[in-house]
Amino acid sequence: MVDFGFYIICGAAVVLLATQAVSNPTAFVQITVFGLADGAMYALVALGYTMVYGIIELINFAHGDVFTLGGYISAAILGFFAINEGSFTAVNLIAIVLVFPVVMLIMGGINITIERVAYRPLRNAPRLAPLITAIGMSFVLEGIMFLWHGPATVHFPDILPHGPQFQTTIGGVFVTFKDGFVMVTAVVLVTLLAIFINRTKLGKAMRATAQDRDAAQLMGININRTIAATFFIGALLAGAGGMIWGLYFNNLFYNLGFRTGLVAFTSAVFGGIGNIPGAAIGGVLIGLIAAYSDSYIGSKWTEVVIFGILIGVLVLRPTGLLGMRVPEK
Amino acid sequence: MTGGIRARIFATASKRHKENQMVRGRGLVILTFAAVVTFACGGGGGGGTASKGTIKIGSDLPVCTTGGQSTANGIKFAVDQKNAAGGVNGYTISYQSFDDCRQAAYSADAGVENVQTMLGDTKFLGMIGPYNSAVAKAEIPVAAPQHFVMISPSNTGVCLTKESPPPQAPCTYHAADLRNGNANNYWRVVTTDDFQGPAMADYFYKTLNIHSVGILDDSTVFGVGISGSFEVEFKKLGGTTKHSEYQKATTSDWKSILLNFKNAGALGVYVGGTDDQNICIPRKQMKDLGWDVPFGGGDGIETTDCIDQASGNELGVSATSAGADATQVPGAKSTIDAFRKQFTGANDFGGYTMQAYDAANALMAAIGRAINDANGSTPTREQVRAEMAKTKGFVGVIGTYDFDANGDTSLKIVSIYSVQSVSDPAQSTGVCGKAQAKLCFVWKTQFDFAKA
Repeated sequence: MVDFGFYIICGAAVVLLATQAVSNPTAFVQITVFGLADGAMYALVALGYTMVYGIIELINFAHGDVFTLGGYISAAILGFFAINEGSFTAVNLIAIVLVFPVVMLIMGGINITIERVAYRPLRNAPRLAPLITAIGMSFVLEGIMFLWHGPATVHFPDILPHGPQFQTTIGGVFVTFKDGFVMVTAVVLVTLLAIFINRTKLGKAMRATAQDRDAAQLMGININRTIAATFFIGALLAGAGGMIWGLYFNNLFYNLGFRTGLVAFTSAVFGGIGNIPGAAIGGVLIGLIAAYSDSYIGSKWTEVVIFGILIGVLVLRPTGLLGMRVPEK
Repeated sequence: MTGGIRARIFATASKRHKENQMVRGRGLVILTFAAVVTFACGGGGGGGTASKGTIKIGSDLPVCTTGGQSTANGIKFAVDQKNAAGGVNGYTISYQSFDDCRQAAYSADAGVENVQTMLGDTKFLGMIGPYNSAVAKAEIPVAAPQHFVMISPSNTGVCLTKESPPPQAPCTYHAADLRNGNANNYWRVVTTDDFQGPAMADYFYKTLNIHSVGILDDSTVFGVGISGSFEVEFKKLGGTTKHSEYQKATTSDWKSILLNFKNAGALGVYVGGTDDQNICIPRKQMKDLGWDVPFGGGDGIETTDCIDQASGNELGVSATSAGADATQVPGAKSTIDAFRKQFTGANDFGGYTMQAYDAANALMAAIGRAINDANGSTPTREQVRAEMAKTKGFVGVIGTYDFDANGDTSLKIVSIYSVQSVSDPAQSTGVCGKAQAKLCFVWKTQFDFAKA
């Protein structure tokens, strides 16, 4: 009964988009490309929210800022390379390949520290307490970035292949190397994550901890280490996301994480919070919805549309698109 | 949750930014906060013979900045010239520069203190300044009851003299309230911000021959207002527009909006907003879209940060600035050359030096007429104010000035600057990029709305 309303709304949205797609297919596909690229980045951030929520039921508000800090740090490290913004060189390639893992590891380390300092001491406190410290950590990280580079927009080196020779027009649709890079990288990272969660021992421990912490502990799983690992992996993705964002947009600012975090969190709830494939799909869908709304409805309505859909999903299908992973008790 | 707090932080930052950019010493303002000291000291001039005495004029400027100091230089130059030529009706003019900086930036409180100091000395018969509109708003209510003449070389805030015309946001304070029933004591030699939008509309439609544009605003009071005034003028000229808006807090990717403009047949983009709202990032994304058309905005984008945000697509960004560029006024050349002989430093000449020179001469002319009114003796402040109000056809280096009852000049000149590659950024009158230090705003043309 409830789901019936949900399908009606989804169906109506699809029909409306289809009419636009028929009337101007080129523009429709073009907007879809933009939406997929944006959505891929939201998905990387959303995964961190959903993993942490799945395992300790905490909405980690600092996660968006971990993502931004990843961008800031990668810009700083890239500064040590003799990169060339004008054209793509071998140094650029080496820099990108080297900096990606370094930034991911640094951010993983930072996020473990955050967990150790701000969340672990409160693990058995009322749930509101770690939520407040999460907001506090968010402000701390933004403050650090503000002190580091000030309020103005920070330039991120434009070192991916770009320019006329790295873009192509397929049937009137304009696709750049950057669009492809963002999507492929995100798919690779999400696939690696899925393999890790489903195939490794630590992944199994994470799933067990998410399901029932006490029982997992009784089975000999080190809870503290498993939760720390969750934060570490979430931050690996956020760090990569921050660097990809920088490579794609070439602009960062200190409170970018607030906005991106909110959208990513929405994506996680949209897909079913705690559900890893749900977060990835939710991120891509939110990216697409935002792009369609910007073009077809009007940019002033985009936030209304995104959050209107979120309310609709929560009212009509409280578990999100793919279903929430709730502890079975 | 935290949204409320942050929204407020955004709003405050944006407001502060708007006030900051109402006035912009064009020259090398980027260096503004780096250079700290500098000190303009009064010391009247030599010259006069058989002086009847001394009349003081003051200035209130942020002389801790290169913009403020170069403006003060223009006043000193005018006063020195006048004294060398015998003073004003037998009186020697003594000029004293007051600094309204606090912690290396202008402060309205410091400005009010300076005005009170001048009011406490009966020899002060008028002042040049202030530099920033926010300071003028605080000073006018203090000076008006004392009939103390203020002439600003650089204030462009609309509400200091008149109501803000729709579609721009209504004034949050009113000119009449600032004067509180006293006769007008405030004049300015530059025009007001409400001409910025129409000037870029004229530039797009008439000069660049673009008849269809996409308009993007940043949803701030300033951005909505300036883009609205652009749109009204552009449609009046016969152009077609497509208008979108965004919020900094929620938009990072403008490509869908820009594609929409492109598909609607737009051949240019006008942005209403400021760089602190990321208004120049869409310029970069136009290149990602392979869409190469002109991009214009108000003085909120005539900044170093805007050039940096447009990274890779800086050329072709145009911005308006309320006021004339003295270096482009043919008649100003001899005065500027004479000035440069006396003031030889690289930053001594700025975007408002000649405006300050004109303002000082207009004030001294009014003092001269007031001396006649007082039968050759020292006039009262009210006599100087009354004579200043009667100023007609005053010939300055920028042009010939009349003033209306509000204190606004008849010279309604708005300049257009575009980003170009220059060989020597130090010689540029507009600001340059930080990452791309040789890409600077360069004067292109000007529109005189008095003639329109």
